[in-house]
Order: sequence, then structure tokens, then C-alpha cells
Amino acid sequence: MKEVYSTGEAAKICRVSQQTVIRCFDAGKLQGFYVPGSRFRRIPRDALVKFMKENGIPLSNLDSGKKKVLVVDDEPEIVEMLVDALQRDGRFEVKTASCGYDAGILTQQFQPDIIVLDYMLQDINADAVTKAIRSNPSLEDTRIIIISGMIEDDKVQGLYELGVHAYLRKPFQIDTLINKIAELLHI
Amino acid sequence: MGASGFQRRKIELLLDEVDALPTLPGIAHRLLSVLAAPQPSRRDLQLVIEADPTLSMRALRLALDFGCAADSTTSIDAVLAATPLDAATADLLSVEIVDPAIASDLDLARLWRHTLATGMAAQAIASRIGTLPPPQALLAGILHDIGQIALAITLPRAYRQVLDHAASTGTDLVEAERKILQVDHATIGKRLANRWGFSETLQNAIWLHHQAQVPPAEEPVAAVLAQAVRLADLVVRQEGFGYLASEQIRDSTQELAERIGLSGAAAEQIGRQVASAFHLNAGPAGFEAAPTPAELQSVLSAARVRLGHLYRTQYRRGIEARAEAGRSDLLVRLSSRLAACRSAKEVLASVAAHVRETFGAGAVVVYFLSREGGYIEGILGAADGATEHFIRALKEGEGIESLVAGLLPASPAPGLPGRAEGAESWLFERHGARLGPGPFFTVPMIVGDVRVGGLVLGPTPGSGELRPRDAAQLAALASVAGAALKRAAAEAELVALSEELAEVNRDVCAAEYGRVQRRNVAALGEMAAGAAHEINNPLAIISGRAQQLAADEKVPARQEMLRTIIQQASRASDILADLRLFARPPAPKLADVDATALAREVVAEFTPGLGPKDPQLKVEAPDTPAAIRADRDQIAGALREIVKNAVQACSNGTGRTVTVSVQALGPQQTVRLSVIDNGPGMDPQVRARAFDPFYCGRDAGRRRGLGLSKAYRAVVASGGQLTLESAPGQGTAVRLTFRAAQETKS
Repeated sequence: MKEVYSTGEAAKICRVSQQTVIRCFDAGKLQGFYVPGSRFRRIPRDALVKFMKENGIPLSNLDSGKKKVLVVDDEPEIVEMLVDALQRDGRFEVKTASCGYDAGILTQQFQPDIIVLDYMLQDINADAVTKAIRSNPSLEDTRIIIISGMIEDDKVQGLYELGVHAYLRKPFQIDTLINKIAELLHI
Repeated sequence: MGASGFQRRKIELLLDEVDALPTLPGIAHRLLSVLAAPQPSRRDLQLVIEADPTLSMRALRLALDFGCAADSTTSIDAVLAATPLDAATADLLSVEIVDPAIASDLDLARLWRHTLATGMAAQAIASRIGTLPPPQALLAGILHDIGQIALAITLPRAYRQVLDHAASTGTDLVEAERKILQVDHATIGKRLANRWGFSETLQNAIWLHHQAQVPPAEEPVAAVLAQAVRLADLVVRQEGFGYLASEQIRDSTQELAERIGLSGAAAEQIGRQVASAFHLNAGPAGFEAAPTPAELQSVLSAARVRLGHLYRTQYRRGIEARAEAGRSDLLVRLSSRLAACRSAKEVLASVAAHVRETFGAGAVVVYFLSREGGYIEGILGAADGATEHFIRALKEGEGIESLVAGLLPASPAPGLPGRAEGAESWLFERHGARLGPGPFFTVPMIVGDVRVGGLVLGPTPGSGELRPRDAAQLAALASVAGAALKRAAAEAELVALSEELAEVNRDVCAAEYGRVQRRNVAALGEMAAGAAHEINNPLAIISGRAQQLAADEKVPARQEMLRTIIQQASRASDILADLRLFARPPAPKLADVDATALAREVVAEFTPGLGPKDPQLKVEAPDTPAAIRADRDQIAGALREIVKNAVQACSNGTGRTVTVSVQALGPQQTVRLSVIDNGPGMDPQVRARAFDPFYCGRDAGRRRGLGLSKAYRAVVASGGQLTLESAPGQGTAVRLTFRAAQETKS
């Protein structure tokens, strides 16, 4: 769990501009300290939570300390099984979507670190989802893993070229998936 | 009554023997003189015959013998027209002359005069009444007393008694006949006319010429004719043309005449006309001639000579007719023999054998000329008796130009045999030694102005020239043979055509099979893609959940079960993946691949896993590389599947081997990879389906049957060919043939 935040990170969590955070910091409304020997402001987690509570800012954006995983599959059983596995692991905060539309909205709101994406969704396929994510600079760091039972081997290369980071063929070893997620998120 | 019946029957039997009756010497002399002419005049002949009862009878019988219908023998003109002149001549030349003693004793000249006068009168009556053809009336009139003539000539002494009885008692002649002979001449005449096959009408006229009341006849002409003859008989007797001077005339001329629509005066006038014109008919017929014995002798010997000549002519014609019949018979036999022939070769052999048998020729050649095919095919029956089939190409400068041009050999008459040595020089240049000494004759086989072949034979028994008869027969035979050859060639063409069609059909079937298979494979591909999506999700859940359970499971046995579930889900997914691969194989990445190295590599993969029950596995390959153009991974996979299949087929047997061989097939620039085992082999049913997906020739359900299917697809994708030969007990050979890699390539 993250203990100290920069003004940029605090602005993101509070959904205000960085200038506002700096002004509040300088006015003493938001407690913090300067990094020794520099002018970089740092805000401890406790002070940020106190500030957010005093100003009525929802705490939902406050980093829980877990990696955020969005699971997208139109097969509820798959979703349920993956959620089970990821929660059991304990390192992940998981949200789910069953179609491309929901996936798009949740990606904006939840800002997942990684998306586990079934290739063939009911409304849209993973190619389109991947392209949309890759065309959004704010999602630059978002990792994508495709899971599918129907991609031909010679098409896989095309997925990587679109900006997918990994591909697993269904059925897969759940451990393999978890390890792959951890590897991609450096945890 | 018993005695009289016996007498009558005796006379009847005697008259049954009567086939010809003699004529008077003067008439015979006249007749023979007419016949002695080189070309007898039919008109002159007719004038003699139609004036004489016995000659008329003869002519009539002859016409009937030649098949003329009795009802159409209504005149001597018609009778002669229905008879070949030669036959009439020969028959009339053998005419007999009445014994002069009998003639004078019975005064037969008077009887003859009576008959001619009656005929003339009947003819005149017919002309007058218009409902009766005059020539028919003349003939009936002439013949009306034929029974009397027969009686007089056959039984001269008895008839003398009849005449004496009539004269002494003053009775009617008919009464006297009945009294003495128990039968009258009208009845005898009718019997004879019936036996000789004369028409009913004529029979009645002969029969009824003394009957007062003529019964109504069905045929109007028949009734009128009988009455006209009866009237004619009456009127000429009134004019002094009766047989007996003392003859009484009881009937009324007027009554008779009126019955047929004539006045009595007209009838009497006819009698007078006949009397005055009698010599006009009697003269040309020789009635008035009285030839001397020497004159008679002279015409009779001339007739004998003529008859002899006619006989010889007819005899020769008879022989020719027999020979002709024999030839036809031979041709018929040849035709039936040829009808059974199914090829030109068989026709040639049959004709050659037939010609040899029929003509006894020393050597025979029968050949067929195929212009389209550019060859001559023939059968040579050599002088030594051996038979040889030959075929040679038509080439210029070999003396066969005349054949090709369709020129016919020089022959005395078109279609008849000519000398062969010059005309068929090509044959003698090549086969002269085998044919032996000549002379040889050639007959072209011509069908519809086109020369289709020829027939060469010789020498025939007797040597020298062919007899004209044989020549004609050969010509006929050649035309039959030519037609048969043409037919055989046409049949062969049909067979060739049907073979071609069958080939086209086979290609079409193969194309159709390929099309259906491609469609099936495409459908399978779609199905596999859908199945992959639909089935892999449940498989993922089954597998995933089992993994989660297994992670928490502490009991080893249950852990093992969960692992099995996971493995089987994975296997099911693998099958789907294979199926998709089969349906939509990835595009081959063609490269130069060393088939030898590939074979060794694949075999090496198997070797470590082979147990004691498995077959011996070996590679037979040249030391030099054999490069092919193919997708290495795909072909390696294909070879792997085929070897695996062979090894499995051979396991649990003794002395089994699986040989993987590599051969460079130089001329075709191809390389062949063969996997040959001596295992149990496949029966035709299994072999036919060996490449079908999921078809499993081994124990059902042991393993999915996609291996060979994938192998086949992979080989074809790389442009290769895969064939499979297998039979129960003879092992299996799978051959993969690929283009050899080009040594120099861009």
C-alpha cells in the first residue's frame, strides 16, 4: 500500500488539478512535507485521507495498494472463476465486465492496471477494444492479456502487433495466468 | 350297274394319266416351223396355239405351272405372257402328232375344225353381247370339246364304237358316249380341266356346253360364257362345222341366243360369218396343210436339235443357278461368321480363313487400310500354312501411295480381281517370300467408293487365271468383308470414344469429388471454429475449477482425479485445435528442405520410444541430400503422423518392419518419401476412408483419426502428392511425392 503521494498523485486521486493540491498544501489545508534538500512536496497517506474527508471527496479513488484487474468475458462462469482466483491471490483489486461497452466505461472509471480480455465478445471483438485502449494516451501503461479458445496460431502475432501483451489459449492453467499478470505488473 | 360303273372308273383312271394330247400333223408342222426360227415370233406362235385345242391346253397348263393364277389365264395372249418364251418353246417343241391311222379313222380333222369354229363363234358372240371378253370366249370355245379329243385319242377303238353307235341308231353323240363309255365327253372334259387346274369358269363352259338348262352361276361371266359356248357350238354345227355329219340339232338357236341377249337371226349371222372367215384362222394355224412325211420328219428333227440346244442351255443355267446358290450360301456363312467378330483383327482372320477354305488358295492376305490411323493392318496366311497378323505404318515411298490414294488395281472389270504382283507391290516387297510363287490376284474392298482394304490370294488350284465364277464370288466376298471391316472399325471407334468419355467422366467425378470434399472441409472449418469457441469456454471452466479445487485438496487420490479432469479438458481442446488445423491449414512456408535429413530426423524421434512389441524402424535413403520444395514443419508433421500410423499398425506382430525411404526420381524431377510397412494392411473399405477425419481403422475409439487427414492436407498444401496402397495381408505403402527443389533459383 502506498504511504506517501506526490502532488500529482494526490490530484489524480482527488480528481482535482495539481495546482489546487499545491495551493491547499501551501495554505496548510493539506498537511505534508518537502523532500529533504529539495522543493518537492510530499503528502503522507493519513493527511490525504483527512483532507479528502474534510472536503467531502470520495475515498474510492484512493489507492487500496492492490493492482487493479479488469476481467472481461461474456461467459459469466469464466468471469466468476477468474474473480475467485484473483481475489484468492490477494494482490488484486478486480472489476468485471461482460461486454465491450461495459469494458470501455470501466476502463475509463477504474483505470485498471491490466485487462484480462476474452477475444470474442458479444458486441465487439478484442481487436477493437485493444485499438481503443491503445489510442488513449492516458491508458498507455494499461496491460492487456487476451484469453480465447478460437484464435488460430498464425493470428496470434497480429494481436501482439496491436499492443496486446500476452495471449492464453482456453482452457489454460490458472497459475499461468496469475503468473503472467504478476510478471506484466512487476509484482 | 356294277359293270358300267367299272367301265366308267377304268376310263376315268385312264384319262387321269393324260397330261398332253397330240395335235394334227399340219398344225404340228406349222408350229415347229414357227419355233425353228432363231427368234420365234410370239404373234405367229399365238396364232397357231389359239386355233388348236391341244396346244391351247398345253400352253394353259404351262402358264399354271409357272405360277400364273388360274383366273388370269383368260386368253392365250395372257397365257403366253405369263410363261418364259424358252420354257414355252421347249414345251411346244416336244409336241406329239396324232397317229395318222386314228386321225383318219375318227376323222379328227373334223373335230378340230369344229373346235376352232366354235371358238371363233364364241369370240364373235362375246364381241356382240359386250359383257364377255372375246379372247376368253375364244379360249373356252376352242377347249369346249377337250374331253372328246381326250376320249378319242386315248380310247380310239371304243370311240369308234361310240361314233358307230350314234350313226347306226341316230342317237345324239352324248347319248352314244354314255351308252358305250358310261360317261360323256363333257363330264370327262370337266374332270380333266379340274385336274389341270383350269379356272372354274372355264371348267363350267367345258362341262355345260351340252346342257339345255344352265344353272345360274355366282359369277355372271361364268353363266354367260357357258351359254355363249353352247350357242357357238350350235350355230357352227348349223353351218356344217359339226363333228358328225349326221348330227341332229335339237336345241333352238333363237331360244339360246335370246337368253344371252342376242336375236336368233344375229346368232345365225355369226354362224355364217364364222363359216366364211374360218380359213383366215385355220390357214395360219396349219389346218389346211398336209405335210408330207419327209417335211414332217424335217421339222421334227429340227425340233429335236432345238430342244437339245435348249436343254443344254437350261442345264448350264441350272448349274450356274446351283453355283450361285452355293455362292450365296458361302456369303451367308461368311456374313454370319463376320457378325460375331468384334474387331478388325477378328474380321481379317475370319475372311482369310474363309477365302482359304473356299478357294483353296496357297496364300492369302486380307488387309485393312486405316487412313485416319495411318496404318495397314492385315492377316497373312502364308504358303506354308502359318498365319501371321501384321501392322505397318503408311509411309511414303513404299509403293503404297496407290492404296492411300484409293487407286484400284488394274482389273478386267471394276470390282473384279486383277493381278496382284504389280498393284500390291508393297505387299510383295515385304512378304513376297512367305507368299510363295504366284500367280496372285487382288480384289479391293470398297465401301461407298472408299477403299477400306484388300484381299490378295493365290495361287488357286488349276493355276492360271481365275475362273470368272470365282472372280465374281471373290468380288462379292470382298464387298461383304469390306463392310464388316468398316463396321468393326466403327465399333472400335465407338469403344475408343466411350473410353474417352469414361476418362472424362472419371475426371469430372474426381473434380466433383474434390469439390464436394473442399466444400465439406470448408463446412468442417466453420464448424470447428464455432465449436472451438463454444466448447473451449466450458472446457476452460471445467479445467479452471478443477485447478482451484486441486489447489485446496489435501487427499492425494482426489487431487489425482482433479488432475485427470484438467488433462482431459486439455485433450478435448487439443482435438478441436487439430480439427481446425485440418480444416484451415496455415499457408505453407515453402523452402528447400532436405527430404533425407527430414526422414532421418522423424525416424530418430520414434526410435527411443520403440518397445519389443513394436516393429523395426529403418531409413533407406541416399547419402546425398534430396532437396524438395515444401513447408518443413508441416511435412515433418505429416511424416510423423504417417510413421506413427505405420508403427501402430505393426505393433503386436512379429517380424514387422516400417521402412522410410527417400528416392530421387530423376526424369520427373521429383522426390519420393515412402513409408512402407509389412503390417496387416487395410481392406478396401478402410483404405477408401483412410484420409477421412476421425475415421479410425484401428479399434474404434482408441484414438482420434486425424493424423492421416492432416498429413494429406499438409502434403497437398506443399504441392505434393500422397498415395496409399494397401491390401489385407500385404502391408501398407504411403508415398509422398514432391517437386525437387530447383538447383538454381532466384
